[in-house]
Amino acid sequence: MNENIWILMSADAIAIATTLILAALGALFTERSGVLNLGIEGILLTSAISSFLAADASGSVWLGLIVGSLIGALLASIHAVLSVVFRANQIVAGLALVIFGTGLANFLGKPAEGKTVTTVINPLSFGPLSDIPVIGPIVFGQDIITYFAIAVAIVASRYLFSTRPGLELRATGDDPATVDAQGLSVARIRIRYTMIGGALVGLGGSWLMLAQSAGWHQAATTNGLGWIALALVVFAGWRPMRIIFGAVLFGFTLQLPFTLQAEQITFIPSAFLEMLPYLATLIALIALSRPGNRNLLGAPRALGTPFVRDER
Amino acid sequence: MMHIPFRVVFEQRGETPRRLSLLVPLASVFAALFFGALFLLATGHSPIDTYSNMFQDGFASFNGITDTLALSTVLICTGISAAFAFQMNLYNIGGEGQLYLGLIGGAWAGIALGDHLPTLMMVPLVLLCGALAGAAWIFVPAFVRSRLGTSEIVSTLLLTYIGASLIKHVIYTPGSFFRNPNTSFPQGRLVADSASLDSFGSSRLYPTFFVALIIAGALYWVVKRTEFGYRINVISDSPRAAHYAGINARRTTMWVMLISGALSGLAGAMLIVGPYGKIEPSIITLGYGYAGIVVAALARNNLGVIIVSGILFSGLRVGGNNLQVTTDTPIHIGVMLQGAILLFALGGEAFRRYHIHVVRVHDATVKKVAA
Repeated sequence: MNENIWILMSADAIAIATTLILAALGALFTERSGVLNLGIEGILLTSAISSFLAADASGSVWLGLIVGSLIGALLASIHAVLSVVFRANQIVAGLALVIFGTGLANFLGKPAEGKTVTTVINPLSFGPLSDIPVIGPIVFGQDIITYFAIAVAIVASRYLFSTRPGLELRATGDDPATVDAQGLSVARIRIRYTMIGGALVGLGGSWLMLAQSAGWHQAATTNGLGWIALALVVFAGWRPMRIIFGAVLFGFTLQLPFTLQAEQITFIPSAFLEMLPYLATLIALIALSRPGNRNLLGAPRALGTPFVRDER
Repeated sequence: MMHIPFRVVFEQRGETPRRLSLLVPLASVFAALFFGALFLLATGHSPIDTYSNMFQDGFASFNGITDTLALSTVLICTGISAAFAFQMNLYNIGGEGQLYLGLIGGAWAGIALGDHLPTLMMVPLVLLCGALAGAAWIFVPAFVRSRLGTSEIVSTLLLTYIGASLIKHVIYTPGSFFRNPNTSFPQGRLVADSASLDSFGSSRLYPTFFVALIIAGALYWVVKRTEFGYRINVISDSPRAAHYAGINARRTTMWVMLISGALSGLAGAMLIVGPYGKIEPSIITLGYGYAGIVVAALARNNLGVIIVSGILFSGLRVGGNNLQVTTDTPIHIGVMLQGAILLFALGGEAFRRYHIHVVRVHDATVKKVAA
């Protein structure tokens, strides 16, 4: 057995986890404010193709990442306005966003079909550190956005649980009436964090494009990562640090097929390996949903319900 | 902070005026088309050419109309599948995956049993097997939803990806039961002649269209007129009232989800007895199951209105699909417009439910004091 392949697999699992971490953190911020945005998959796809087009036209990956994030925030703002201002059914609005985003991404991606990204994000080099066996490629062989994603998770954890605005955010998702009574605008907080969440998802989609896919493959570009990210938030109990752990775990299930193929281990049908990430997510989701577990896990209590102040 | 001199007030309507119930969906469609036109202009395509071509190919020729009705057969089924669950606040969004399984179940019956039975028995059998396979695919989400409260949204969706892998598996694996053994190029094995219907004349419309209409009508009757339908209504209005009334919400949840899955499976089986006659692996890129969600939401889960929204949406798809041939506009504008129409409809919904008006902040304060 070739050890190098397994080391590379671990490195790749952490790499692919980047999109999951960013997308799940985006969903987490949104849900912590009490808004359920199921449109993550659509945002991922649209930001991915936008970053491709922007990077391709300008020759700059950074511009690609920025455009992708902005598009993410823009799409999320549609959801925010529908959910918060118009008090629409958030589940249906999120699904509409997936369908709209998929169509939009495929429309925009028409000229990109068959082309590859010319400017990509390269792994950072830490000089001798990157050459350390095993740890080198896994810990010091990633690109800047991967480290950034982990940093965001750490900062988000501090922000949520140890700062005033973080407390306000959590309170908005749990008990909006109290936040309102404090003189804060529930609507403004929800719209703000839905858009911030969208920008994070957008960054995740852009990274996936510019560091991983190197080409536009329509809906297969994201292939359900957005839905896995949504399940990951439940899995992590709406806590940022646990998202890193969960994302790496799912990263492994996503990488396993490629590694086994390279190792020429073929007794497991490839179709089954392809199903593995979704199957693992499904099993985790069911295992976590014992009765009464919902509060234990820490789901925001007002998740998915519009806030209407009792005016009379 | 900036001071805004006016604010928007949402006043809950006691009753929705009848004209708004019709006006709002129509206005959403037009608003979405207008938005689409701006988008087409911005990306350098002619909106007039695009729309007139779409209309021509979707609604205004013999082939267009029959193709639209043919596709609506599938969309009406996936639409009622979504609506039937949605009306009880059960969000089965995995109709797409249940449709794949319907294809597999239907093809199995058509291949395995086809040579022994006449058409009159075979076609209903294929449809039944497809429906059962669709119901089987939603069994686990339905079971854990009714027992443990696991979100059916994510679970049904995850199973769609698993279903897509399954479709690829049964077609691309050499020697697979569902693969045509006579060609080296991977494609589905044709079902027996007795398991496939003929289309009407030179069109591509199959008698299954009327089956879809009958099923939509029958379910409408079930929801409005039977005790089962009454239970669904009570649970969706007030789970607590249902509990006190002794309604078994678990069992009803289970049944509603299984029926919803069966309807999507049926849509897949209709493709087997109709246009496909085999498992067509490209099905996983077409999104007929997802489109059902849009069809249902636009009809606000009304099983009768779904027939109208289903036909409207398939016209949009048929027109959109021909665009690549007639203009240089990417076909994906069709799907994009579907999403846009739904987004606008959701926004428009607020105008139906609330009386929305803008008031000066000054006036609002006065009013509040007066009240």
